[in-house]
Amino acid sequence: MPRAKGRSALLAFASQASLALTLTAASLTRPIASYQISCRLDTEKRAVEGTELLTWTNTTAKPAATLRFHLYLNAFRNTLSTFWRESGGERRGDRLPESWGSIELTRMTLADGSDLLASLSYVSPDDGNPYDRTVAEVQLPRAVQPGETISISIDFRSRLPRVSARTGWKGDFYLVAQWFPKIGVFQDKGWNCHQFHASSEFFADFGNYDVSIDVPVRYRGKVGATGVRVEERNLPGDRVLYRFRQDSVHDFAWTADPDFLVVDDVFREPAVADTQIRLLLQPEHRGQQARYLKATKVALSGYGRVLGPYPYPTLTVVDPPWGAMGAGGMEYPTFITAGTHRMAPASAQSPEGVTIHEFGHQYFYGLLASNEFEEPWLDEGFNEYMEDRVVGAAYGSNRPVLTAFGFRFPIGVAVHRPLDTNRRYFQVATEDVLASPAWKFRTRTSYGANVYSKTALAMATLERLLGTPTMNRALRLYADRWRFRHPTTADWIAAVRDATGRDYRWFFDRTFYSSGAVDYAVVDAKSEKVEPPKGLFESEGGLVEKPPAELAKGKGWKSVATVARLGDVAMPIEIVLKFDGNHTYRSTWDGEARWKRFRVDRGPRLLEAVVDPDEKILLDVDRTNNGRLVRADPRAASRWTARAVFWMQNLIDSLTIAW
Amino acid sequence: MRDRVSSAGCFARGVKLSLSRPYLAVSLWLIQLLLASVLALPVSNALHTLLDHSSSGSRMVADPEFGWWETVRRVHPDLLGNFSDAVESATSAEGVESSALGALEGIGATALSLCFLGIVLHAFALGGIFGALREPQSSLVVIGREGMRRFPAFLAFTLAAMAAALAAYRWIYLASGKAWRERLNDLDTEGQAMALTFARLLVFLLVLAGIKLVADSVRAIWVARPDLPAVSRFFAGLAAAFSRPARLFGVLVFYLLSGAALYVLWIVLDPSAGGEARFALVPLILAQQVFVFLRSLLKVGYYAGVSEALTRVPSPEYSYVPAPTIDESASVDRTPDEPGVERPAGAI
Repeated sequence: MPRAKGRSALLAFASQASLALTLTAASLTRPIASYQISCRLDTEKRAVEGTELLTWTNTTAKPAATLRFHLYLNAFRNTLSTFWRESGGERRGDRLPESWGSIELTRMTLADGSDLLASLSYVSPDDGNPYDRTVAEVQLPRAVQPGETISISIDFRSRLPRVSARTGWKGDFYLVAQWFPKIGVFQDKGWNCHQFHASSEFFADFGNYDVSIDVPVRYRGKVGATGVRVEERNLPGDRVLYRFRQDSVHDFAWTADPDFLVVDDVFREPAVADTQIRLLLQPEHRGQQARYLKATKVALSGYGRVLGPYPYPTLTVVDPPWGAMGAGGMEYPTFITAGTHRMAPASAQSPEGVTIHEFGHQYFYGLLASNEFEEPWLDEGFNEYMEDRVVGAAYGSNRPVLTAFGFRFPIGVAVHRPLDTNRRYFQVATEDVLASPAWKFRTRTSYGANVYSKTALAMATLERLLGTPTMNRALRLYADRWRFRHPTTADWIAAVRDATGRDYRWFFDRTFYSSGAVDYAVVDAKSEKVEPPKGLFESEGGLVEKPPAELAKGKGWKSVATVARLGDVAMPIEIVLKFDGNHTYRSTWDGEARWKRFRVDRGPRLLEAVVDPDEKILLDVDRTNNGRLVRADPRAASRWTARAVFWMQNLIDSLTIAW
Repeated sequence: MRDRVSSAGCFARGVKLSLSRPYLAVSLWLIQLLLASVLALPVSNALHTLLDHSSSGSRMVADPEFGWWETVRRVHPDLLGNFSDAVESATSAEGVESSALGALEGIGATALSLCFLGIVLHAFALGGIFGALREPQSSLVVIGREGMRRFPAFLAFTLAAMAAALAAYRWIYLASGKAWRERLNDLDTEGQAMALTFARLLVFLLVLAGIKLVADSVRAIWVARPDLPAVSRFFAGLAAAFSRPARLFGVLVFYLLSGAALYVLWIVLDPSAGGEARFALVPLILAQQVFVFLRSLLKVGYYAGVSEALTRVPSPEYSYVPAPTIDESASVDRTPDEPGVERPAGAI
């Protein structure tokens, strides 16, 4: 089909779709940025050509003289892009393939036909990189007034890279994400439209999507996308068209792979609308179908019970093929990509963990559409916390696999949630302030450790301080209040305040807004038998060297325990002193001073002093010093020394086998 | 006349010889124990400081709590350096570059140095073992003497074998990993990728086995044929390896399988389950050392098996003790189908 002719057909279809959309849409929220897109996959060129009709409303109190668009695929344009520079050409420990992607705009007009493309320029609001092409700005002939809605028609050509970061192709598999020109978020302070960074994701306004995808006929029945499939139609030239629609979402992604095994299921729970689950599975992972489906249902139930029901009628779960794991572990509205391995023992929580995590983003990012660029902890960290809860409740502790020479073997070690799963925080504890924009962390490790792990541990600590029912109330309040909107950290803090009736700002100041570490330690614990006093004592008007009868006989033990705050951050904590005869003494301390001493005279013998005995403060960076025995117990150290020597003998023995 | 001794028979006879001369295994065990003991004090001091007064210490190390390990890595980066990462990388599909050694620190670096020292001492121990195996009556003194006698040559063989093994890792495993890294991802399924990785690993292990068997053959013949000039002994050793590759390989396989079986047994019994071990300290240490000793017995058995596979009867080599009189009826080397008198002493 000639290109011009094809474009006319696409536009005609877009107009029809627009009519259908108007007639049937029942938005869950007021649309701000709605898209009607018609696109065609060119498998020869690894490209998608499309026409987009964007309907955008200025919801601020300020006129918009310009428009800004995300052109995410330009992150893969060359090694000068901000994404490539920040990533160092690596993602998730793998080298990014040198396969380039781009998005080019070939037409951009307003409804009256005025051309906007001539005024297009690229801007780099985050780092000033003159070579980055991921944000484009166009000048409007007339500013869009508050409350006014405009339509913009855009023709674009997206060249997809080999699967690397969240998008691309591998063989016949396509994950088409971040693929169309997407308008930024206009706020009273101006455009919020960040560049594509190595460590950040997305931020967009809600709208209604109506997308038609034209693919070669070999993809028949093997296309999955955001929303509900409303049409399948044969096209001339051995092609087939699929049309998907979804209201009240803020992004659209799709996938196609002729090898997909398509598995349909339904999530059904009392008093909640059914959700149609579509699992697009790789044939070599056929044996893990039940695990995927169970995990999806566990997630729908687990998140829904705390944060409110999942509001959309469909959920598509994609299992990427081998060699395309860069497309795995990603979330888009009503559409998630997970991923698994051929050797995935049932005891290891994979693909369960990643499926549940990515589903969780339907809430933290999807419904609660926080700014992932500026406050990434609100989606990744909150979701990590909830994932720990949901997976822990459904599956218990994880039993990970050991990967050796490309093979994966189950090992009999339990990894507990949330402490062990978020252990990376303890390695970098004080490197960065958690509440930093995604691209401003010192290292990628620090980004992960803070945004994911520290947030999860802080939230779990808060849950232990508040109690689970109160925490659930706060989460539900936050979720209900900000559903289909753009919450910020301040909104979460307000929700906690409103749910508890107390201001917990201090907690977030010390965790989210601080790089300080929490470390309480029992630095001293002693117990001595009370000896009779010595010296001069008053007796019958004079001084004698004999103590009075009531003091003459030593009685009981004199015990002292000193608890110190070794970290910069103070938290209210509990202290337990354990005495001979099963006696315990429990006390609380606001933890503000550098140390506090607990003294018990003439009591039973002190055996042990423990700070934070119920392990509420999960952010404590050194748990070995949380409890102190009065009498040293060298058994653990001795046994581990013996093990170290034994391992060394085995290592020497094994190495000398070779030669 | 070609003998028909199976590799299983050779290995069995080797183990029998090892059991009949336990002081050979004792010498290996002692070397490994003394080397490993170098680490005992720093490890012990660090652990006692951390754990002795910690009421949750034993629970943490027994469970284990990974957060604690990460804390130790942050607080004491000098303890291990990148040891765990380097080990992980070494066993990855891509392998590890030698540059990773530069980031080893503290105990991790010491452990690696001890391994190198262990390899040098291993050369000495092998000289002693091969020599002592050929003595009708021997002792730890004989092992020492024989070890010292052959140390220069055996050290050269060991270092050459080590260099060859490292070269195999570098040029076979690492190089193929690098070359196929991208292509691995281009394969259609993970199963194909795993098969390719398995093939790479298999080739590497086979080459490694070949290097080891050649080195062991050279050692065995070096001891068995003192009547030949050094160069001839060396080439005779090479020839011996190539003349009986299946039998030698079989002996190696039996050795590796029996070693693996020991490890399986150890894992099933699990006597050292963390800080809260089910064994008290002394029984735990005894169990560990018995295990290491059993491995040493198997190791001596393997070398005796290699010697068995290559040489049928003791050679009249130069020795401080008189050459033994060959008593066919008493010889453990003799097989029913092969009267020793038909073969010249020291025949290969």
